[in-house]
Amino acid sequence: MADTPMVVIRNLSKVYRQGDLDVVALNRISLQIDSGEFLALMGPSGSGKSTLLHIIAGVDRPTGGECRVQGIEVTRLNESALADWRNQNVGFVFQSFNLIPVLTAYENVELPLLLTGLNRRRRRQQVNRALELVGLADRSRHLPRQLSGGQEQRVAIARALVTDPALIVADEPTGNLDSRSAHEALGILQSLSRQSGKTVILVTHDPKAAAFGTRTIHLEKGELT
Amino acid sequence: MSTGTFVLKNALRNKRRAGLCILSVAVSLFLFVTLLVALREITIPPEDVGAASRIIVRNKISLGTLLPARQRAVLERLPGVAAVTPFTWYGGKFRDEDATLFGQFAVDPLKLPVLLPEARVPPEQWAAFFKDRRACLVGKIVADQYHFQLGDRLPFTGTIWPCDLELRVAGIYEGTLDDRNVFFHHDYLNEAVGELNQVGTWWVKARSLDQMAEVVAEINHAFANTAAEVRAETERAFQMSMISMWGNIRILVRSICSVVVFTLVLVSASTMNMAVRERFRELAVLKALGFRRRQLFAFILAESFGLALAGALVGVGGAWFFYSHVSIARLTQGIFITFEVTPRILGQAWLIAVGLGIGASIAPAVAVARMSVVEGLKTLD
Repeated sequence: MADTPMVVIRNLSKVYRQGDLDVVALNRISLQIDSGEFLALMGPSGSGKSTLLHIIAGVDRPTGGECRVQGIEVTRLNESALADWRNQNVGFVFQSFNLIPVLTAYENVELPLLLTGLNRRRRRQQVNRALELVGLADRSRHLPRQLSGGQEQRVAIARALVTDPALIVADEPTGNLDSRSAHEALGILQSLSRQSGKTVILVTHDPKAAAFGTRTIHLEKGELT
Repeated sequence: MSTGTFVLKNALRNKRRAGLCILSVAVSLFLFVTLLVALREITIPPEDVGAASRIIVRNKISLGTLLPARQRAVLERLPGVAAVTPFTWYGGKFRDEDATLFGQFAVDPLKLPVLLPEARVPPEQWAAFFKDRRACLVGKIVADQYHFQLGDRLPFTGTIWPCDLELRVAGIYEGTLDDRNVFFHHDYLNEAVGELNQVGTWWVKARSLDQMAEVVAEINHAFANTAAEVRAETERAFQMSMISMWGNIRILVRSICSVVVFTLVLVSASTMNMAVRERFRELAVLKALGFRRRQLFAFILAESFGLALAGALVGVGGAWFFYSHVSIARLTQGIFITFEVTPRILGQAWLIAVGLGIGASIAPAVAVARMSVVEGLKTLD
């Protein structure tokens, strides 16, 4: 585990306004996640774990507090800067894979690279490397519907790591997988953390999935427990 | 994969819907072009040089009120007048037709070559036309349509004049703006009606374009305060006044065009809305991956543009090809002659297609721009 903190959160709050009612999703949370750490974020539904993940990944904004990732206060970036920052620094893995159905596995993985300005040859190298890493080099021409759920999630992991981001966020990535596929997907995330030094934040309900992490934290009613 | 490939794959992900959208744009634009071309044809004023120096003289009361034949001598004496011919609409029915779609006009045959210099007729046919008082000149469109040959006898039943006529085809003319008429001797009409001594209108040829205004004024002045006051005007002005009678048709056609365009916008906007709505989640994922709003807008715009322009290519291109290669005069039995798809009309249709591409993408693009990633990811597939 490296010494430099990847994520530093101070007094982070998120309040949703529903009519006259204020719903507190996160209540003044403070947290530090080190580089290369594999953090499992657990908690019941509505505890605020996905909200926390979204704020760290720069797709949602807090109503209060600070969230620094690699020393950058992401909450203060404007929309365009945030989009660029996400492309370069964050890899996303979703519960329902979220692959583009009309694109092949190769093209889905290549998608984030279209924003990088790399030429076609460099893109091909990076995509092939990412697909090899998740063991799907031979499925690169397949459409998502021609793949199993586990394979789709591995393609999604390849897409998350193809830009070589420092941070990978995974929101219940095993929720739609059988136990074997889930084990494979989590194994890949674990090796990314251990061997490549990626910081992985995993949101999960499942203690078995959380056991793959180096640290587990619990959220309940928007607070760390 | 290039950005273009990505856009193309998205546009064609539902091939049936994309095909139907392209087809609806194509059919609507084909109809739009057809309406504009038809409107142009029925309202276009004559632009040829011959028409510019012709003056139509009619009774001031109305076009249907006849003029006395004795006016001719006065007209011919006016300075600046090169030639004068009576020009009387016969309006008969050909053979047993219920409605005859070509006009028959009684004229002075010897003056016709001067009045209608653009008409191309072989010299021997002019000569045959001059010699026989029952001879007639037939426009090429009519001759082709009815397969008339020189020497054919054409029987007409009078519907306005109390007489029937039998004309012999002495020549076939072409090269005028309207090669759909039959010209015959005014003397024959006089004789058939029995001392008619009246004409429908006068056609007057001015010696030069510079003298047109002067000659028109002289003619109007010459018959002022007489029993048959006249209204003289250039052929263009005369045609424009006839066109003004089409005023309601013009409004009607333009209204239909507007409805066509409006419907087209609704159909295209609806298609694009559906196309974008069903992949809201995917667009949210793209945002999460780092695609900016303007890039997503460009994707949607390109897709919308692609569908609209593909439709335009089929519809506008199809209309141009069809009307350029099919004889509309034959197809419509001479109602429309040139049916020319002008660059202006093509431009208008393409402009609508471009507007359509932009217009249809605005609502979905705004929706995507406003959508937060978190909201988009919650959208059900």
